[in-house]
Amino acid sequence: MKSFFLFLSSLRWTDVIDIAFNSYILFRLYVLFKGTTVLRVLIGIAILWLFQRIAVSLNLVLTSWAFQGIIAAAAIIVIVVFRNEIRSVLQAKTLRAILWGSPHKAVQTPVEIISESVFDLAGKRHGALLVFKAKDDLQEVVHSGIPWNGVLSKEMILSIFWPDNPVHDGAAIIEGDRISEVGVILPVSRRKDLPSHYGTRHRAAAGLAERTDALAVVVSEETGKVVVAQGGKLRGVHGKNELARSLGEALGLQVEKKRFSQKRQKLELSAAGLIAFLFITAVWFGFTRGSDTLITRDIPIGYMNRPAEMEILETSANVVRIQLGGSGAILKSLGPEQVQVRLDLGKAVVGKNSFTITHESIKLPPGVVLKSIEPSVVDVTLDVQAKKELPIQVDWTGKLNFSLALTDVKIDPQKITVIGGRSILEKLSTLYTEKARLDTIEKSGEITVSLALRPASLKVAPGSKERIRIAYTVEEKRPKEAENRSEGD
Amino acid sequence: MKRLSRPAGIYFGVFLLLLAFSSQALSQPKDTPTSQSEQSHTDSAKLTLRRAVICEGIKDYAPTNPAIVFPVSIGRVFCFSYLDPVPEKTAIYHSWYYRDELITKQKLSLRPPRWATYSSIQLREYDKGPWRVTITDQANDTLDVLRFSITD
Repeated sequence: MKSFFLFLSSLRWTDVIDIAFNSYILFRLYVLFKGTTVLRVLIGIAILWLFQRIAVSLNLVLTSWAFQGIIAAAAIIVIVVFRNEIRSVLQAKTLRAILWGSPHKAVQTPVEIISESVFDLAGKRHGALLVFKAKDDLQEVVHSGIPWNGVLSKEMILSIFWPDNPVHDGAAIIEGDRISEVGVILPVSRRKDLPSHYGTRHRAAAGLAERTDALAVVVSEETGKVVVAQGGKLRGVHGKNELARSLGEALGLQVEKKRFSQKRQKLELSAAGLIAFLFITAVWFGFTRGSDTLITRDIPIGYMNRPAEMEILETSANVVRIQLGGSGAILKSLGPEQVQVRLDLGKAVVGKNSFTITHESIKLPPGVVLKSIEPSVVDVTLDVQAKKELPIQVDWTGKLNFSLALTDVKIDPQKITVIGGRSILEKLSTLYTEKARLDTIEKSGEITVSLALRPASLKVAPGSKERIRIAYTVEEKRPKEAENRSEGD
Repeated sequence: MKRLSRPAGIYFGVFLLLLAFSSQALSQPKDTPTSQSEQSHTDSAKLTLRRAVICEGIKDYAPTNPAIVFPVSIGRVFCFSYLDPVPEKTAIYHSWYYRDELITKQKLSLRPPRWATYSSIQLREYDKGPWRVTITDQANDTLDVLRFSITD
């Protein structure tokens, strides 16, 4: 018990928010995609992921690799195949509905009016086909609809399916309390087990029900019978009340009589919320407290707020070795950019500054704990920038022909102004060129070389040349001396 | 750092002719002024460096093979200085620098009315690179800077 309270006290308030936020996201995903194919596929992917983790823990290399590939492919397939469902959830609903809305439909379909209208049409032997849109998008399976957007009424339904109306042969799509489209052509089912007396309307209703989660109501022109099609099944309906009940159940409408159903739905949502919370909590603990692992990283030191007039001359260390602790999963996925060591030079002065690397100097991602730092103190020497004009000397290299003597050199320019730290410049009295080769020299001539600025923090002042022209003079040595040299070599 | 730790005595040799020869012999006695007036004129003149070169050797009080690039295989290089006039007994300094690092500073005594002198360093394999010799007087005024390189 004591250890439990100790464990609770180790939780930070940010951890609680972390768990609560992700639990709510998972819960809302369930609410929004409940009853759709997307949720079923997502559950399938989650199970695959679970298997993959088990395979990893058992060191099943090929299996875990295969699962990983399948999950990656499945994630892409879900987005591509179910893009319409995802779009309809995210676009059709308001932000409030996505974040907080109830899964019940905001606008109720007047099922009593529809039932009465349908059986009026049946009595008159007027054929009709009504489609009640659910969560699936219908635009990719239906064609040639005429926009209507009329508020649903008995008179309107009767007039649409009046035999002389040009659109009476097509289907009417009902969304909420409105008829959105009329004269819609539905995909026809190719099933061979349908009764022979079913006509085109029945086959169209069956075709739509096979492909989507919509509900279709068919009134037969020949028999006056009413048939409901949903989920690939067709069944006859006898009477207005039965149709109203069927519509209410199928479309998830709030009917006063269904108090029991409402309670059940609330219970279901509560259970979903609890499962989401428990699942996220388990995942969170798996990630953050799974197993205490230690890693060591060499992190380059970054400097900030350097006074503009100063430059860093020297540092006692360019990297610090830090030891980090946390769960293996987090540490394994730790990217180099997620751990940063920064020293604030805002209060630094010219000369040597000692900085103690504290926890505040190190940026770590959540769930990662700093165990040790080495070195814990870094010396940074800063200097003020200054200018200095310095003479240039050629840095000759290689071997000059033994019979020749390099007797004179003229350099252009003879001096160059450089910018650098004041203390560096105080120690410098000459600038040297890059190496100039002697091996190829046979007679007097000219070459052009670059300056070798060392240390690298030195810069040539604007307006000064960076390339140096060297005019050299070589002379033949006196024969005796050359001979002596040759013998010496 | 390694260069600094080397004993200065081994590092270079300075051969002063001051005590070994008479001043006349060293500084070309045929040109030595003898009259009193000339002597007083010399005393009032300023110490002037007439010639300064880096060379491979000294022969007959004159530099041999002056140049600005020397192979390390010659073993030793010399800095020759000829001053005329030398108004009074004084000294100059030859400061040998490898890059910007002072390797040695040698005091060379001078005697009127003119004087030739030199200093030298012994060369090691790791002495390859740019060198310079700064010639200064006793007031630390720079009389000349000679730049040269030791190469393969």
